[in-house]
Amino acid sequence: MQHDIFTIEIIKDAIVALGDEMFNAMIRTSMSPIIYETTDFAVGATDATGNLLAQGNGVTAFLATLDTAVVSLLEHYPDPASIRPGDVFMSNTPYEGGGTHLSDVVILVPVFDGEQLIAWTVNKAHWTEVGGAQPGSVSTNATEIYQEGLRFTFLKLYDRGEVNAALVQLIRDNVRLPDSTIGDMHAGVAAARVGARRIGELLDRYGRDQLLEAMRELLDYGERMTRAELVKLPKGVFEAEDVVEEDGLGNGPFPIRVRVTITDDEMIVDYSGTALQTTGPINCSYTGLVTGARCLFKAVTNPDIPANGGCFRPLRIVCPPGTIISAQAPAPVSLYYEPLIAAIDVFWKALAPVLPRRLSAGHQRTVGATFISGTRPENGELFVMGEPLVGGWGASSDLDGDNGQFCCANGETYNIPCELFESRYALQVDQYAFHNADGGAGRQRGGKGVVLDYRVTAEEAYLTYATSRSEARPWALDGGQQGSTNYAEIHRHDGSVERHTMCTTVPVRRDEVIRIYTASGGGHGDPAQRDRDALLRDIRNGYVTAEQAVRDYGVDVAEAM
Amino acid sequence: MRASSDVGGTFTDLVYYQVDPETGQCGEVRTAKADTTPPNFEQGVLDTLAKSGVPIGELDFFAHGSTVVINALTERKGVKTALITTRGFRDVIEIARGNRPDLFNFNFRKPKPFVERYLRGELDERVTYRGTIERRVDLSPLPAMIDAFRADGVQAIAVAFLHAYVEPANERAVVAEIRRLWPEVSVLASHEVSREWREYERTNTTVLSAYVHPITQRYVERLEDRLKDGGYAHPLYMMQSNGGIATAEAAKANPIAMVESGPASGIFAAAYMGRRIDEPNLIVLDIGGTTAKCTLVEDGEVKVTTEYHIERDARNPGYPIQTAVSEIVEIGNGGGSIAWIDEGDKLHVGPRSAGARPGPAAYGHGGANATTTDANLVLGRIDPASFVGGEREPDWAAVDAAFAPLQARLNLSREEVARGIVRIANANMTAALRLVSTNKGYDPRDFALMAFGGGGAMHAVALAEELRVPHVIVPVNSSVFSAWGMLLTDLRRDYLQTHLTRLESAQAAELASGFAAMRLQAMDDYGRDDVGFEHFLDMRYIGQEHTVKISAVRSADGDVDIAATADAFHAAHEKRFTYRLDNAIEVVNFHLVATIAVNKPELAEKPVTGRALGDAVIATRSVDFDQHGIHDATIYDGLRLEPGMAFQGPAIIQEPSVTCVVPPPHSVTIDKYGNYHIHLAA
Repeated sequence: MQHDIFTIEIIKDAIVALGDEMFNAMIRTSMSPIIYETTDFAVGATDATGNLLAQGNGVTAFLATLDTAVVSLLEHYPDPASIRPGDVFMSNTPYEGGGTHLSDVVILVPVFDGEQLIAWTVNKAHWTEVGGAQPGSVSTNATEIYQEGLRFTFLKLYDRGEVNAALVQLIRDNVRLPDSTIGDMHAGVAAARVGARRIGELLDRYGRDQLLEAMRELLDYGERMTRAELVKLPKGVFEAEDVVEEDGLGNGPFPIRVRVTITDDEMIVDYSGTALQTTGPINCSYTGLVTGARCLFKAVTNPDIPANGGCFRPLRIVCPPGTIISAQAPAPVSLYYEPLIAAIDVFWKALAPVLPRRLSAGHQRTVGATFISGTRPENGELFVMGEPLVGGWGASSDLDGDNGQFCCANGETYNIPCELFESRYALQVDQYAFHNADGGAGRQRGGKGVVLDYRVTAEEAYLTYATSRSEARPWALDGGQQGSTNYAEIHRHDGSVERHTMCTTVPVRRDEVIRIYTASGGGHGDPAQRDRDALLRDIRNGYVTAEQAVRDYGVDVAEAM
Repeated sequence: MRASSDVGGTFTDLVYYQVDPETGQCGEVRTAKADTTPPNFEQGVLDTLAKSGVPIGELDFFAHGSTVVINALTERKGVKTALITTRGFRDVIEIARGNRPDLFNFNFRKPKPFVERYLRGELDERVTYRGTIERRVDLSPLPAMIDAFRADGVQAIAVAFLHAYVEPANERAVVAEIRRLWPEVSVLASHEVSREWREYERTNTTVLSAYVHPITQRYVERLEDRLKDGGYAHPLYMMQSNGGIATAEAAKANPIAMVESGPASGIFAAAYMGRRIDEPNLIVLDIGGTTAKCTLVEDGEVKVTTEYHIERDARNPGYPIQTAVSEIVEIGNGGGSIAWIDEGDKLHVGPRSAGARPGPAAYGHGGANATTTDANLVLGRIDPASFVGGEREPDWAAVDAAFAPLQARLNLSREEVARGIVRIANANMTAALRLVSTNKGYDPRDFALMAFGGGGAMHAVALAEELRVPHVIVPVNSSVFSAWGMLLTDLRRDYLQTHLTRLESAQAAELASGFAAMRLQAMDDYGRDDVGFEHFLDMRYIGQEHTVKISAVRSADGDVDIAATADAFHAAHEKRFTYRLDNAIEVVNFHLVATIAVNKPELAEKPVTGRALGDAVIATRSVDFDQHGIHDATIYDGLRLEPGMAFQGPAIIQEPSVTCVVPPPHSVTIDKYGNYHIHLAA
């Protein structure tokens, strides 16, 4: 049968829709809030060799984790006969394809036409618990990967449809919340099977030849759309530098450097000169770096079309091994996302001056991940709360920054409603509001960060918290003011206040308050040029204080009003 | 005489019929149409009544569906609204959920809240998640707050405190005090709007309801007055998003419950018709000019959800509305959807639409883009002789001009491009239909596809082929199905209460008393005791987030049969998510549907005169059926088809505003009500 173009288009759309279908399956079956509220996962499909066809993303931070996982898996199973229908693989090793940190587990399902491998469906999700020294498998003080939890390197979870019971039992025996963890595992397998079944239907409907042609054409389409945008970008070499402040063990700051070269045909992003990997867990493997570079590349080329492998053909990433963003075994990596975000942000900072309407000024640049564990007084059950935090985004040349938004590595991430939160954890939220820390003034104002109070209602709870942008502020553009910083405070019974930016399982007693501030974003343009009505409105709305109006904008409120 | 009116974006429809007092049967369904008349929408309703010639005093029943709420929201035409929250939480409405669906847009802005920050007050109070009042609300700052709101021109106030879904006492105290201090202002508390948890969703819903409260109230009152002036002596009923009607009084109290009333009535009408013709399992599709909406009806029941949003799409988080709405998937694909080609040479159809003006190129009103309607015209599926009800000659020059750039880019003939447009439009709609069927674990082969709206009949058979649905139904009155549907509905209220408990025998008394309290509330709200109830539970495995709604199985004594309900949950979970767990089952929401049946006449049967099938044939015409080839199709006049008639494709059934396309291998029968059934060849 002749492959007419519209049939190929329709198959392509069906492949792209796979991403959404698997995404919904995952979100509705997960056992843990980090998947269903923060949507800390990605699902997708690749062709038989690992070219990304479609991806359903909850967050941007997993953009390079599905296709690279397939590529690495094929290196571990070079004999085609060792991959069979009914197999399900899993992996979380950070140092190979698909790797981030141990909590993020990849599930891979091969799809066959008869005996012929034609595609993979893959997902990667943050599991509640994978064991290790600390609840939630995240710490700020690990010095080796072995302290961070169980590590799986492309293991068979199912062999020709038979579950690997020994592996499941091993996991169950080595994690703190086995029902949640095993539930997360089931959700991953279910989502991958939804995708595999759908590919099977497309195969039945259209046949192998048309399906494979549609896959090839889909990748070429992604490349065409991206190149059409690439030629419109300013050409030249753009550089930027920033820091990740600390590694949790007193080391740092760690410089991150980028040199971006844009030509008509490609974009080269060279991170040479970035600091070497460190002892503490603030290391990111090369997969994380690829994700980061792809994210910003996509943001400045074509953010609208669904991501596939073809979109990234014009992108070249350069970074020597062994840096803080290309870490090697056995570096601890549980906070990998902070340097990953810094890698996105520094690339962003290099291009923002020449793309002022596409890219805003610097934002809070942290997931601000906060983990609090303890025992619920009403039933004696252990709880482990983990959530990312919203902060302020930067202003762009024509708009104020967004208030209270998750960082660039998140995306379809939802905060946990206080009403659910309090029913699940022995914590009461006393406020969730914008703060008025100095920073972000500009002709266009940076977005507001938040202040969030957790009052402990358990006998005792333990805070693990890690942030960057605790010293170096979100960058401004065109004469605007830098943003504010991220940090946590513990308000003790005796009235004392402790400040933390990196801490692991700090005990907090009943009725003490953990208060977290997230950064406000950077401003754009000279504050003195801010529209007078807009400023008066800011003051009336409490986004700018009277004192800040005088000092940063040169406007005396009493006179002005 | 019974009548209903449906206010659409362009036209206001009236559907009415006489009831034969002897037989109780309804007479011929008639319609009238007038321009919609913003902002005084009631004028359009009165205009349709005037056009119909029906004296208002002869009406025995009048139901009304209005877009006044959704229009006020999307056009930002509500009133200045203030919000009072628990201290420390006034920014919840602005922080929202923090999500950014436009993942790779690093210059993103979330939608603005409906209440600016200076109009958000806070009061000291606290209720715990278990419903214990930790601190009673401190009302002392309220007078100054109210004065400030008044000075700022506020006309409505929303009150939303944490955990008010379980213990509303603090909200009630504030509402009472506001009413005392400022009796004229509209005030709504979150517990009056929703009894479900999630403070952002509930707060936003309350704000939106308050925002449209004064104008909805005035609108409904004006309509009541005008009808009363005309001699109407019965209650006015307003269509709700949950597929039922409410008295005007109840509708005014919480206007947000009307937000999606238009699509709801068509879907409920489909379910009703399905039950009458013994087709309880339906995939329902409503194709209009700009969008297509679809849903799934199982065992005659429409699924109702409270996870509804406005202005939400792949790039925008939109605004959540936590009210009972029939579960609909809507996509930007209708008759007016525009075909275009992107930089990667890919042909797309929609979501941009040519609308009513300029409309498709063939209308000759300056439409420069090829639309789905133009493609159907090019393929001969739409009769050029009866284009737009025969009122208009297609503007072929404009059609050629619209197709030319697409042909040049793709290097294809006009007919090939037209086929591509229809196929891609069908693929878009197929994707939406998959979301409500296969993606939720349903096999389309177990369903019939019921299609209505202006474009439903045109595309239905092709979509059924794609989904392997064996049977398509195009219902009688399909072009005014939504308005007609309002005459089939009952009074309905949905009560949802978040109440965490386990589905196990130890909790039997808690389950029973939970529902008993809700039933009492419902009877109290209606002020009568002839209320019919349906009991649902939103449940999940312990540890999960998202719930599955299960109709609670009830034992002979009326209480929940826990074992049987658990079995139903396991089975539904497995159907939808492919696996079941041994974990305990947790109840999250009690959901009670309380209805009061409205007396309705029997559905009218279409008269049989014994006319020969041949007398219904208008002509034969060459029609392009895409994969089925180009054939001389028999063109039937739908109005002349009679129950019992049967024929084969290739055929086209035409009514003044309906075109039903039947490709060659399939057969058609007409049932006693005049519905068309297309039986797909295997």
